Amino acid sequence: MYRYDDIDQAMLTDRAAEFREQCRRRLAGEITEDQFKPIRLMNGLYLQLHAYMLRIAIPYGALNSAKLRKLAWVASTYDRGYGHFTTRTNLQLHWIKLKDAPDILDALAGVGLHAIQTSGNCIRNLTADPHAGATADEADDPRVWAEAIRQWSTFHPEFSFLPRKFKIAVTGATRDRAAIRIYDIGLRLHRAADGELAFEVLAGGGLGRIPFLGPTIRERLPARHLLSYLQAILRVYNRLGRRDNIWKARIKVLVATLGAEEFARQVDEEWEASDKAAVDLPDTELARIRAGFAPVGFETLPPVSAAFETAKLDDRAFARFARHNITAHKQPGYALIDVSLKAIGETPGDCSAEQMEVIANLAERYSLDEARVTYEQNLILPHVKLDDAPAVYRLLADADLATPNIGLISDIIACPGLDYCALANARAIPIAQDIARRFESPELAEKIGELKIKISGCINACGHHHVGHIGILGVDKKGEEFYQLTLGGSGEDDASIGQSLGPALPAERVAPAIDQLVEVYLRERTTGERFIDTYRRAGLAPFKEAVYAEAH
Amino acid sequence: MKALTANRLTDGEVVFWKQGQWLDRFADAELFDDEAVAEAAEAHAKTQVTLLVEPYLIDVAEVEGGVAPVSYRERLRALGPTNKPEHGKQAQGGAQIEILAHAHGAASSKGRIDLIKRK
Ligand code: SF4
Repeated sequence: MYRYDDIDQAMLTDRAAEFREQCRRRLAGEITEDQFKPIRLMNGLYLQLHAYMLRIAIPYGALNSAKLRKLAWVASTYDRGYGHFTTRTNLQLHWIKLKDAPDILDALAGVGLHAIQTSGNCIRNLTADPHAGATADEADDPRVWAEAIRQWSTFHPEFSFLPRKFKIAVTGATRDRAAIRIYDIGLRLHRAADGELAFEVLAGGGLGRIPFLGPTIRERLPARHLLSYLQAILRVYNRLGRRDNIWKARIKVLVATLGAEEFARQVDEEWEASDKAAVDLPDTELARIRAGFAPVGFETLPPVSAAFETAKLDDRAFARFARHNITAHKQPGYALIDVSLKAIGETPGDCSAEQMEVIANLAERYSLDEARVTYEQNLILPHVKLDDAPAVYRLLADADLATPNIGLISDIIACPGLDYCALANARAIPIAQDIARRFESPELAEKIGELKIKISGCINACGHHHVGHIGILGVDKKGEEFYQLTLGGSGEDDASIGQSLGPALPAERVAPAIDQLVEVYLRERTTGERFIDTYRRAGLAPFKEAVYAEAH
Repeated sequence: MKALTANRLTDGEVVFWKQGQWLDRFADAELFDDEAVAEAAEAHAKTQVTLLVEPYLIDVAEVEGGVAPVSYRERLRALGPTNKPEHGKQAQGGAQIEILAHAHGAASSKGRIDLIKRK
């Protein structure tokens, strides 16, 4: 795993010291809350309903045992012994005290963790394919490029005051596991027919009040020009993006207003006029970063593991786990293991300090000291020997981390919602808990197959509801929690924005409505169809009819 | 009826005003019948910058067994997150917490619910 160099490390230490002084001044009354608020936000410290919340960046979702252990230590020392992984692969601690924040940032800096780029109108923490470096369908390791963007964008003076926050997702694989179409910029590495490594560049995606899937603005950008091209996009956005209306300030509105073609033309014009060499990564620097991600420690193994195959035959629970939580690795004899943070009835994305310790130990002992965070609020042990998979499974199961539900109906994305978030209209977590309990039976969940439910507590859409096969949005109707359902969204390869099912439902009607939707699906589906396929074929009507008395 | 609330600066804890003091429990909050008195308290709170963040007035109404904030969001602040009953003020339990936990929204959305019947 890439390690921060001395420059990064010194920067983090300085930043923590600076924040300590700023906190002191705020507590002493030398600066006002209005002056302090942007400063604490720039350090990831939000004030939510019950306490301060610290959002810790996990660049491209990459963790190792030292980082996980430090997060566990911070969570149990300064918070209530748990953390919440988000759809931006950050970790949020929900019970932080302002007076502890400087000590926490110091502790995090010690292992190269921080809360930079987790707030404000800057380029936010990068996300990437969580299978990076482990999947066979990859043209290049996206972490190399994500790290280059991280270094380039951190504290970038020109892009510290954009019209609005800016999110980038990167993948190097054919299959999209990074939801690249729903972000301000999506990047997909591929190898062109002549062998050149290139990016497909998407811009102007985003959820929120007005959802858009990002159109491709350049099919083939030579990879070496990534940074100069990003600079051109950001310059056009910085110049033309709206600053008068917060709801129209994201780049998606600019791209939609200009049209993707015109936007691309302006970006090209800016790009051609710029001094590319001054910005693009020198080959030596790229090689240095790349070396940080070089695979180390893989053994030469046969592709089939007798231990793994026997365990599947002997233990049906393990076989089920293997079907849903274990994925093929590019290295023969290895696999990726999904660690489900969606135990039935628990809060999606929550991970206790003890669980973090367990995962740290497993990463260190069995996964070449790596763990990943996925945007679907789970973790991954990316490099486990098939021979070791049964042992890893047992240790995960002992810590309630082996729910065999990845991609299934109980693998629900839910934002913190009104239980924590100051912006929320309604709760998201209890809705997820209700649904998961209703579909607790692993046999039933397996019979239903892939079904992605995504819940947001307000239109900001941190829970990605627009791109859920079933999306659930919390709304406030005269002070009560109601939920708007959408169907047919998808965030990945077959990306689409969900369509509204009908009038919003009261909280207690949501889980029964999911039941009704699933019944329709099971009745209507033809062989091999997933929920979303049936919806796409049969349309909204049968689903709507099942949930509402009137279909109009 | 109104009450005055804020988050405490040092730790973010939800606090309620009672005659110049800031207390943790909604049950201890001073209830204002007189708008002018409430606003004067709020104005004073806004000067307590080393103690508080964002003091504001909330609507309070009578409910079964006592009084509770009208909005669901404010009741949640006075209780804690519903997914973790062991966290937040609700962890203390007791009759006053029960009253808040069982209060319903002042606004009714019944008409909406009736619309949604299963076939
Ligand atoms: S979607 Fe809304 S409620 Fe949920 S975390 Fe984002 S801002 Fe908060």
